[in-house]
Amino acid sequence: MTRDGTFHHGDPAAGKTPIIEMRNIEKHFGSVIALAGVSFDVRPGECHCLLGDNGAGKSTFIKVMSGVHKPTAGEIRFEGKPMHFEDPRDAISAGIATVHQHLAMIPLMSVSRNFFMGNEPERKVAGIRFFDKKRADAVTMEEMRKMGINLRGPDQAVGTLSGGERQTVAIARAVHFGAKILILDEPTSALGVRQTSNVLATIDRVRKQGIGVVFISHNVRHALAVGDRFTVLNRGKTLGTAERGGITPEELQDLMAGGQELALLEGSLGGTV
Amino acid sequence: MISAAKKVLLATAVATLPMVLASTASAEGEKYVLVSHAPDSDSWWNTIKNSIALAGEQMDVEVEYRNPPTGDIADMARIIEQVAASGPDGIITTLADFDVLSGPIRSAVDSGVDVIIMNTGSAEQARELGALMYVGQPEYDAGFAAGQRAKDDGITSFLCVNHAIQQPTLVQRCQGFADGLGVELGNQMLDSGTDPAEIKNRVMAYLSANPDTDAILTLGPLSADPTLLALDENGMAGDIYFGTFDLGEEIVKGITSGVIEWGIDQQPFLQAYLPVVILTNYHRYGVLPGNNINSGPGFITADNLGKIEEFAGEYR
Amino acid sequence: MTNAAQPAAPDERIKEISAFRKALIRPELGGIVGTIAVFTFFGLFAFDSGMFNSQGIMNWSVVSAQFMIIAVGACLLMIAGEFDLSVGSMIGFAGMMIAIFSITYGWPVWLAIIVTFVLCCSIGALNGWIVIRTGLPSFIVTLAFLFILRGFTIFLPQVLERKTIIGGVSDAAEGDWLAPIFGGKILKGLFTWLGDAGVIATFDRGTNAGQPVVDGIPMLIVWALGLIVFGHVLLTKTRFGNWLFAAGGDAEAARYSGVPVNRVKILMFMFTAFCATVFAVCQVMEFGSAGADRGLLKEFEAIIAVVIGGALLTGGYGSVIGAALGALIFGVVQQGLFFAGVESSLFRVFLGVILLGAVILNTYIRRIITGER
Repeated sequence: MTRDGTFHHGDPAAGKTPIIEMRNIEKHFGSVIALAGVSFDVRPGECHCLLGDNGAGKSTFIKVMSGVHKPTAGEIRFEGKPMHFEDPRDAISAGIATVHQHLAMIPLMSVSRNFFMGNEPERKVAGIRFFDKKRADAVTMEEMRKMGINLRGPDQAVGTLSGGERQTVAIARAVHFGAKILILDEPTSALGVRQTSNVLATIDRVRKQGIGVVFISHNVRHALAVGDRFTVLNRGKTLGTAERGGITPEELQDLMAGGQELALLEGSLGGTV
Repeated sequence: MISAAKKVLLATAVATLPMVLASTASAEGEKYVLVSHAPDSDSWWNTIKNSIALAGEQMDVEVEYRNPPTGDIADMARIIEQVAASGPDGIITTLADFDVLSGPIRSAVDSGVDVIIMNTGSAEQARELGALMYVGQPEYDAGFAAGQRAKDDGITSFLCVNHAIQQPTLVQRCQGFADGLGVELGNQMLDSGTDPAEIKNRVMAYLSANPDTDAILTLGPLSADPTLLALDENGMAGDIYFGTFDLGEEIVKGITSGVIEWGIDQQPFLQAYLPVVILTNYHRYGVLPGNNINSGPGFITADNLGKIEEFAGEYR
Repeated sequence: MTNAAQPAAPDERIKEISAFRKALIRPELGGIVGTIAVFTFFGLFAFDSGMFNSQGIMNWSVVSAQFMIIAVGACLLMIAGEFDLSVGSMIGFAGMMIAIFSITYGWPVWLAIIVTFVLCCSIGALNGWIVIRTGLPSFIVTLAFLFILRGFTIFLPQVLERKTIIGGVSDAAEGDWLAPIFGGKILKGLFTWLGDAGVIATFDRGTNAGQPVVDGIPMLIVWALGLIVFGHVLLTKTRFGNWLFAAGGDAEAARYSGVPVNRVKILMFMFTAFCATVFAVCQVMEFGSAGADRGLLKEFEAIIAVVIGGALLTGGYGSVIGAALGALIFGVVQQGLFFAGVESSLFRVFLGVILLGAVILNTYIRRIITGER
């Protein structure tokens, strides 16, 4: 995969107003300062990569963004207005959807039940509201077809899907339910090469629909393949945001590691980290 | 999968066949079922099982023993209904809770099954349900008699170790004993549970908290055996006045060694044996004793042990 | 990479799944197979024993219906990922409260029943609330309530009435409007007619002479069927059912998807308590007394029925129909062994064998569903 990638990148997102803007976010857990003033924004139709090594504060930051944690200090503006999320439901209804690495799907449930989990379509029969399974099944099959996954049937259990397919179902679900911002937490870290490229292709497709994608990763090559902008977190702080083309993989790598010993390692590993 | 299922089925079939064959091969002739309220853990009922088996053998009739595994009386009601549905010639049952069991028993009687009430219950209740008779020891009266005896021996306070406090008949024994003594039962009844180690520890704890206790009353081997151990351990064995309901191997040893003053024998052998004999003769020759039979209470002391020692736990 | 954007070609590594394997992953399968096996077995070994005459059928039906009532609650709760070990004690407690309210306090029976329902469902909610708030396994929390409720069930009547069984509820319930809904019988006319027509046997002596030996369908069975239908529809046909699967399959994932997991679980603890109370009220209204020993070990019987019926102990998978069939198997085996002439103490051996077989089958099914080997 070359740096200029096979993906078509959307219009330069620089001109559009951000959907979400987070300024100087701080989060303290007791005496531990997990985030020490992080600024980050997402514009429609872009893929903004949030990079950082383990423990850099990526997870804490996206939990703040998705309403799981309340920031200790800092400001969140959503579509230009100040926003306070009380719980994840607030964030979800505002249009911020999160696809978690391991929490995407429930393996024992069918694809269609997973797809509509928490947003089940209903129809009324004799005044009682029932789960509209027929519609759920039809929509699921259609959405999956669009994403390039052929199901045996809507009743197929998610457990039989591969890791990449599960991520794709989760992404398709978020998009179907009107996500404006899609947060992907390490979607590729546990995947093989082929499945990774499927997921990256899905991200590209989603971005073209005008959705802002936040792609969390510690893999520079995956990030560079689809990212429009890159923000690096290190020890709870941002080390700046770079535009696509304005930064080399080596520089990104260095930023992630805080510019320390990695430079030395790099030499001995031949730049393949 | 198929093979797994097959294996399970096969194993079940293999495990079952001998039992089915064994039970169908038993005696021809009349069939009598004895239903008790005792949980599986109560070994006292072993005597009952042995006695009906002996009666079945001697009279050449088919006998069966049934009980609710946990001692739940509502489950026992279902068992009686079920036994009635299987159409035996007679049912011998305890009447542990009149409200619960009266319906099923009356239905059994009405559908043509002869019923004898044994062990718990009373003559009046048996008559009310249309049962042929009552064979057993009236519990309150037995407790009262024991209380009077203890009073004559100079007892004024006691501990009643109740291992099945949910059974009203056992509470009646304690209540009768207290009334016989002429004292309030109050908190002298200990809810000991059925676990031997727990019973032992609770008895020891009670006695160390209430060192002035004159006497101990246990309600069967289940509570008597651990109580004996407890008294051994705290050194009160032989010192404290100890009476018990029912017999068992350890109780007999206790009476022999003088640790236990007396045991109240309700003679379970008769409660199980007589109904089978009576029912068989009733069905064969139409003869029926004209009265209820009190199988107890008989007081067993060190002086009259003899046969009891020989058959303790089996027929006594 | 770009071709992934088009609909993917069928993956050659996915084998066409056979109809047999498809049937296997239905949770009810084990229950259906077991039911057929059990009835075949008893049909062969106990056909003439009275097990299949009207009294015999009523007997195992009533016992099975009892199991079904508590199994429906236990099943939905287990699917939602939790256990309730206090079911048996709740049965004893609920029955005792009705007796205390109606006999000791002299309240009208309908009021006693309603107050008991409210009280027991509140205790169920408390169970759930503690589980949710502390994050402790429900196994431990409800085990605590097993003892707490049983303790009160023995303590209260002793303090109030100086005995452990309170009777006389039947007389108190005479003419009450709510009591027959739990303790009554329906279709009495039909059964009288059947008795007159000689289809079913009649009593040949006593005050009921000429009456059929089975004079109606007890409300207990009606409640069992009603709860099964309700549970099945709730689980498979409503949004809430999807939440149940989700809460039990992976509570965190469900929470992230916006499923109100806490509410779902607490409601299910309440529903389990409700089922236990229905069991208790039916029992008290039928037998007319409440005892401190009622319902012992019923929690395990409920869980066993649910597991035989194909639900996974780990939650997230199961079926109400399966649980009902599990209860039927349980009841028929328990009562049927007697009719087949098997020594009753061996019942536990059978139960153990069936339970083990069911659990092994379930594990195998889950592997098929999730594709793990």
